[in-house]
Amino acid sequence: MIIPDTTQTIVAPASAPGLGAIAVVRLSGPEAHNIASAFLKPLSAFKKPRPGTSYLLKAEENGRLLDKIVVIFYRAPKSYTGDDMVEIFCHGSPYIISRLLRLSIANGAREAAPGEFTLRAFMNGKLDLTQAEAVNDLIISESAASHRAAITQVEGEVSSRIRKLRGRLVDLLSELEVRLDDAYGELPALDSEAFAGRTAAAAAGIKTLADSFEHGRHLKHGLRVTIAGAPNSGKSSLLNRVADSDRAIVSPKAGTTRDTIEERINLSGFTVIFTDTAGISPAAEDAVEREGMRRSIKALKAADIILWVRDISKRDSSADRRVAAAIKRAAAPGTELIKVFNKSDLPPARGPGETAEGISISCRTGRGVDALKDLLVGEERKMFSAESSSVITSARHYSALLGAHGELTRIGGLVGHGPEFPLELAAEHLRGALNALADILGETTPEEILGRIFEKFCVGK
Amino acid sequence: MAYFDYPGNFDVIIVGGGHAGCEAALAASGMGMKTLMITHDLDTIALMSCNPSIGGVGKGQIVRELDALGGHMARVTDFSTLSARMLNTSRGAAVHSPRAQCDKKLYQSAMKHALELADNLALIQDEAAQIWTEGSRLRGVITARNTRYTAGCVILTTGTFLNGVVHIGASSFRGGRYNHPPSDGLSPSLVALGFKLGRLKTGTPMRLNGRTIDFSECEEQKPDEPPALFSHFTGRTQRKLLSCWITRTGSRAAAVVRANLNKSPLYSGRIKSAGPRYCPSIEDKIVKFPHHPEHILFLEPEGFDTEEYYVNGLSTSLPEEVQLELVRSIKGLERAELMRAAYAIEYDYCPPQQLDYNLESRMLPGLFMAGQINGTTGYEEAAAQGLMAGINAALKLKNLAPLILGRDESYIGVMIDDLISKGVDEPYRIYTARAEYRLLLRQDNADLRLMPHGFRIGLVPERFKTGFDLYKNTVELFRSRDKRSISWSKACARKTPPDHQETDGAMAPWTRAKAEATAKIEKEYASYIALNLREAEKMKRFEHVIIPERLDLAAITGLCLESKQKLLKVRPGTLAQAARIPGITPTDIQLLWVHVSRMTKTNTKISDRGGRT
Repeated sequence: MIIPDTTQTIVAPASAPGLGAIAVVRLSGPEAHNIASAFLKPLSAFKKPRPGTSYLLKAEENGRLLDKIVVIFYRAPKSYTGDDMVEIFCHGSPYIISRLLRLSIANGAREAAPGEFTLRAFMNGKLDLTQAEAVNDLIISESAASHRAAITQVEGEVSSRIRKLRGRLVDLLSELEVRLDDAYGELPALDSEAFAGRTAAAAAGIKTLADSFEHGRHLKHGLRVTIAGAPNSGKSSLLNRVADSDRAIVSPKAGTTRDTIEERINLSGFTVIFTDTAGISPAAEDAVEREGMRRSIKALKAADIILWVRDISKRDSSADRRVAAAIKRAAAPGTELIKVFNKSDLPPARGPGETAEGISISCRTGRGVDALKDLLVGEERKMFSAESSSVITSARHYSALLGAHGELTRIGGLVGHGPEFPLELAAEHLRGALNALADILGETTPEEILGRIFEKFCVGK
Repeated sequence: MAYFDYPGNFDVIIVGGGHAGCEAALAASGMGMKTLMITHDLDTIALMSCNPSIGGVGKGQIVRELDALGGHMARVTDFSTLSARMLNTSRGAAVHSPRAQCDKKLYQSAMKHALELADNLALIQDEAAQIWTEGSRLRGVITARNTRYTAGCVILTTGTFLNGVVHIGASSFRGGRYNHPPSDGLSPSLVALGFKLGRLKTGTPMRLNGRTIDFSECEEQKPDEPPALFSHFTGRTQRKLLSCWITRTGSRAAAVVRANLNKSPLYSGRIKSAGPRYCPSIEDKIVKFPHHPEHILFLEPEGFDTEEYYVNGLSTSLPEEVQLELVRSIKGLERAELMRAAYAIEYDYCPPQQLDYNLESRMLPGLFMAGQINGTTGYEEAAAQGLMAGINAALKLKNLAPLILGRDESYIGVMIDDLISKGVDEPYRIYTARAEYRLLLRQDNADLRLMPHGFRIGLVPERFKTGFDLYKNTVELFRSRDKRSISWSKACARKTPPDHQETDGAMAPWTRAKAEATAKIEKEYASYIALNLREAEKMKRFEHVIIPERLDLAAITGLCLESKQKLLKVRPGTLAQAARIPGITPTDIQLLWVHVSRMTKTNTKISDRGGRT
């Protein structure tokens, strides 16, 4: 049933999505403190938290540090929503935010509907009646913003997979309902083993999909961008330019960067991991340089995007050709290659025909760096949207699938009772599973179940 | 035109004497309303035009509910039962459903007698021709004989009579039942008032002379002994029960149907309106399920004093000569003689979204509708609506709040809510699949669920109150005995469970054994019932958020056009009802909630926060 359930604890990012170094994840509802205590450490902070005081805590997932975060506790009715509330201030990475949402949901929260925090505030008398119009507008604008994740707007492969799974549940439920409403005992008995098998298969399918939320590669690790190029072509300078820091040691002497250097950077809200490779040179003499080479090849293999940096003021050297060969050999299929011509502040030695294939920049003056960033953001967007069509990226969908899976696993125990297992109780769980999926695909109406029954079975007098 | 203005005013007029009309008349008059029933033929009151059977899965629960509210169908059924079985006993208690075959004539005469005996109730044989209005106000009813009756409320229970057309093969003729004239005046009268009408179809199989059936070729289906009763107030059945018989169609029957499909108005396209999928014609069964070698048929006696048998499962609109060939192609019926041919009937209905949840029309206050006119099928569904319309008409005239049953409270509530918020596209039948709180809505606890309403509105006599309270407490004791949370002394003012004789005497017609059985079922379902209750509780909060009539739905910004149209069509009375309209989104509900809260000027607290620290 579509109704905002005010007894549940809800969770959602309370800061604008995308940009921002710091994000806020807000939990509101009677269980807010309990849920947060399941993954925020140390636990002692929850013993007697002082409302309105900020606490520096750690968010942990499976015992591993996810992020150091600042938390503020609120007690009803003294909070924005009027509920018990927890606000978690974390680093603004979509990955960290999505993990915090996942942890909250796994511990019993539900993702807030658009405008739901404000709705609660309004219903709890925290907002003046004259502000109702503003609440109204907020709900409208937030629902527009979350359109992509909303019911029936799921697209691509995930949508068709969920639809198919839902179809299987409808089939299973109709098998039960037709027997529960069978006044004449005309139907053959239900094959309980086959039914259990089909239920387990559907549950497994749902689990696989739910798990993809954890494994969404880009969401989890960020986009991997590997910078490759001949020695002294300006790879480290480029990394410094993009990261605005002096992370890599830069010196005019070739071969300064012996190791691969990783830098996590937030670009338009996406995490990007830049790897600056050691120069790829055949003359790697000592063991350290050879190790550096090995790591560079590995970084090329793992890359989603390779930035191939060359010096615009020089013609292709043998080093450049070796890098080209290394990229060709190491890059995985589907890796995006972006040609970068550095040192555009110097007189060019390459023809415009060649440089037009890539992007010209100057790490020294900064010219062209923003254009390169824009290009990267564009590539990121493309990859993220390709990914989100095959894995679960919305916490809401994750929560729905988790709920459905939980219901289905309980049918197994009932069917264990043998052929005379209680159909009406198995039906309760199937209904529960379909209700959970309603958050993604809308409600399953009795009419749909009845339709399935009349299509499949010859029943009635 | 010269009218005979009938002297005096009625409170409630019921148009129609079928199953809906009878319950409506008895409920309204039982609640002290001066009531009139107009029927075109007093001899067809409570006629079972199709199968003389009451109950079945879902339907049986409805009849139990109707009885708990003070309706008559259960008692009349018990009185006239000739065969009975509790269905679904191999399944869980939530779907156990009583079903009875009745003696058609006994049922009719018992119901007619109940009407005649009722205080405040007048019966008149005439045809209601027109709904009488003055301006936008309901005045009463004008009959075909030009008599005018005034009333505060009018309840239409017209069954299949509005513009009824009967089909047998290629021949069709106007009729509300095979041999009864249709009602010509009421449909135009409703249209003139602004109501939208639609068209539905139903049918009934042939009847055979039992002396021409070879029962030795059929399988006997014995009744339960003793049969389960429908009414909470009936002691036991009076008569020795009869058996029903089972036979099956085979390949010969299928061949006859296939060879003659072009003669079926259902397949030639002459009948366009939708029929109930639950009562498929034999044409449908054979065409849609060609891989089924046979279809089950039940041969059911129509009475103690007749040889007429109803052929349950052989509905058809094929021509009579094909019907005979078809019947005689079936095992045991090779020499059978038709007494009545099967036929299909098309009729007007009034799409029920035009009603409010008390079954009163939104267009013309005071005008109520119940039964097939609302697009339902089945005596039980009709009777339950008739009862609710009768009760609500009386409550309206008494200026009391309407009785609107919840979906967590009764199948009747599920049905009426479905009708009003979703409408119908085929004749609506109840199924347990329609109830989201199925484990709560059992035949064994209909009394616990609804009888308090029955006492409150006055249709269940006060003298049963003590027995009921004792029964209720006894169930509670059995339910919680392990938990030790409620002591025997608290409920019964004693320390030990009272013994059978003592309690059964004090709680008659209830028994200690029944209390124990119900408590046992609830214990078995305990964790599921708790979940059902929690869900229902959640919903209930929104059942209490009334959407004021004066809320201008069209002016709410942010609602998409589609949602607006749906809301305007149904005009939900509460937020929960709005949420049940197909296609309404959570955003719509939130927006509505904000506007409703603003209108009511009091901030609805989400929950009581008193206990929180």
